[in-house]
Amino acid sequence: MSEFERQHPVAAVSRAFGLIRGNIVTILVFLFVGAQSDNFPFLWWIGGLFIFLLIIGAANWWRFLYKMDGDTLHIRSGIFVRKDLYLTKDRIQVIDISSGVIQRLFGLVRLDIQTAGATSRQAAIDAITKVKAMEINRVLRDIHSDPGEFGQVSEEIGISDSDVLKKLDLPHKELLIAASTSGSFGIALSVLATIFSQIEPLISESEMFEYLFSIIPSQTDAVMIGITIFIFIAFAWLLSFFSTLFTYGNFKLIVKEKEIIISRGIFEKKRVTIPYNRIQAIHVSEGLIRQPLGYASIHLESAGYGDEKGTGSIVLFPLIRRTNIIQLLNDVLPDYEKEMPGIKPPSRALRRYIFKSSFPITIVTGVLFWYLSLNLWIWLIPIGSLFWGWLKYKDAALAWGEDILLFRSRQLSKSTAYIKKKRVQDAIIFQNVFQRYRNLCSVQIHVASGDRGKSFMVDDLEYDEGIRLLNAVRKNGISAENRIPEETLNKIQVPGWI
Amino acid sequence: MSKPSFHKLAPNVIKVWQWSNSISNLFFLAIPIAYAFFFGYSGLHLWFIIGSGLLVTVFWILSIAWIPFLSWKNWRYSINQKEIDLKHGILFKTRTLIPLSRVQHVDTRQGPLLRTYKLSSVTISTAATTHEIPGLDTILADRVRRQISTYARLAEDDV
Repeated sequence: MSEFERQHPVAAVSRAFGLIRGNIVTILVFLFVGAQSDNFPFLWWIGGLFIFLLIIGAANWWRFLYKMDGDTLHIRSGIFVRKDLYLTKDRIQVIDISSGVIQRLFGLVRLDIQTAGATSRQAAIDAITKVKAMEINRVLRDIHSDPGEFGQVSEEIGISDSDVLKKLDLPHKELLIAASTSGSFGIALSVLATIFSQIEPLISESEMFEYLFSIIPSQTDAVMIGITIFIFIAFAWLLSFFSTLFTYGNFKLIVKEKEIIISRGIFEKKRVTIPYNRIQAIHVSEGLIRQPLGYASIHLESAGYGDEKGTGSIVLFPLIRRTNIIQLLNDVLPDYEKEMPGIKPPSRALRRYIFKSSFPITIVTGVLFWYLSLNLWIWLIPIGSLFWGWLKYKDAALAWGEDILLFRSRQLSKSTAYIKKKRVQDAIIFQNVFQRYRNLCSVQIHVASGDRGKSFMVDDLEYDEGIRLLNAVRKNGISAENRIPEETLNKIQVPGWI
Repeated sequence: MSKPSFHKLAPNVIKVWQWSNSISNLFFLAIPIAYAFFFGYSGLHLWFIIGSGLLVTVFWILSIAWIPFLSWKNWRYSINQKEIDLKHGILFKTRTLIPLSRVQHVDTRQGPLLRTYKLSSVTISTAATTHEIPGLDTILADRVRRQISTYARLAEDDV
């Protein structure tokens, strides 16, 4: 393979779809604006846009060349500005082979190549035959790993069985629960609203409304609004249900000697490989709906590695019973200490927690109540926020073990984060005037995640504990003086899932 | 554990802050002006404009006459072979600890204002965040930068 080759022409189409997906918000806005003007019909906008994207996709396909040169993969791309990318064997971290719907129709795969640098994350060949992908994979990987690794390729694309330590699946029941309690509900609602605003003129002009009004026995406006809202929410829920179902269907977590492989997706198959030494933190998130049901999801943060948005958050396991979390973490990350003594905020911090979560909400509710003369029931929201503040207080905790830190806190969902001490990029303690008066402080740490960082924070701990955390981060290994003393007042055992 | 030895910023940085505050906080005057533009100034609106105008002006004066001094008084930094320790903030006190093994790169920066007073700022980047020591003498800033990069190289390096 020393001649330049083009990808399969299907790449043009998949590229166009990729562009649509990447710019969905912009496109929706444009459509929204476009549909306002009468002399330029809605369908023309969509058609024109699609053709335009196809042309871009085709141009990209025409100008994208790749070849294997010994052990170097050379990619030349760019429509106007030509970019030469040389990927050498010893710099490559991970090669991922995946296939979307379009690729699968033509029996093709997509090849993603990840290097240590952040800039070349885009190195990907969109559409390539499976045979060629395997060949590139073999050439780029073979000396690195033992020759047997890609010898026997199982039915799943690119996953060999040789050094798999453990395989975990998501049971159907869990998948269904995950889908029905999915948090992408709000996003679905906003997408629906946009679509509705598009087709609303069409509907209202038709006789459908009159028809509807005629069959529904005379109702008050409030009931009509209620029904509309209910239908909306039901649709949004269905949308998020199915999108989660399709995203996390066929979920497989494969634990290997040096890396974790996550593969998922029903129509659009995705596969992510995370080398162990890239993992920066794990956090377990228990959502508002999922927590009472006893479920949680597990995420991990990885460095220099992520999705298109540049965040390094990856779903390690979409849904798991709370009581099984530690078991699973033991399987996947045996070198993380899971249970340890921790500290919670002192009881004098409770009033700060409750005040902070209820005060703004109360003010807003009061103003709205006054101006819009709302129903008295609206005051249930501030009352609920008192409870929310108490929950936040109850869930806040900080702990550290031999080489690990644990941050537990709640925004809406309860999050428990494990961070290896050597992964901490910085540690910060804050004190505002009121906290200083009460001798409290907030602590925050950053870990690397994708291109940027991710922070974990616990509010209103005893000031001395904040200092002790700094000392714990400072030292290699925890000396006796930084250990949480036996007689500490606010001691609890974390994470407390069982 | 030896007590970390904290240093202060160059006193000239107060002047830099005074200048930059006097320019940047002038833009807050846009609030009453914009308000007057949208709602006119009759009756209650006038009182609001006067009130917010006064507030902005008082804040502007304080941000020149008082805040830079307090800010300087509260700024401390310390660098040793293991970590960088920064303390700052007036009402909202912040203490930041950056293990040196996490430092990815350090650079010194100098805008026109800082150059006038022969100062530089030192910027420390980790894989997640960026921190700044805002005003040191240029020579000292260079020394600090070199010191940090030497220490960082000595500290074990993995992400």
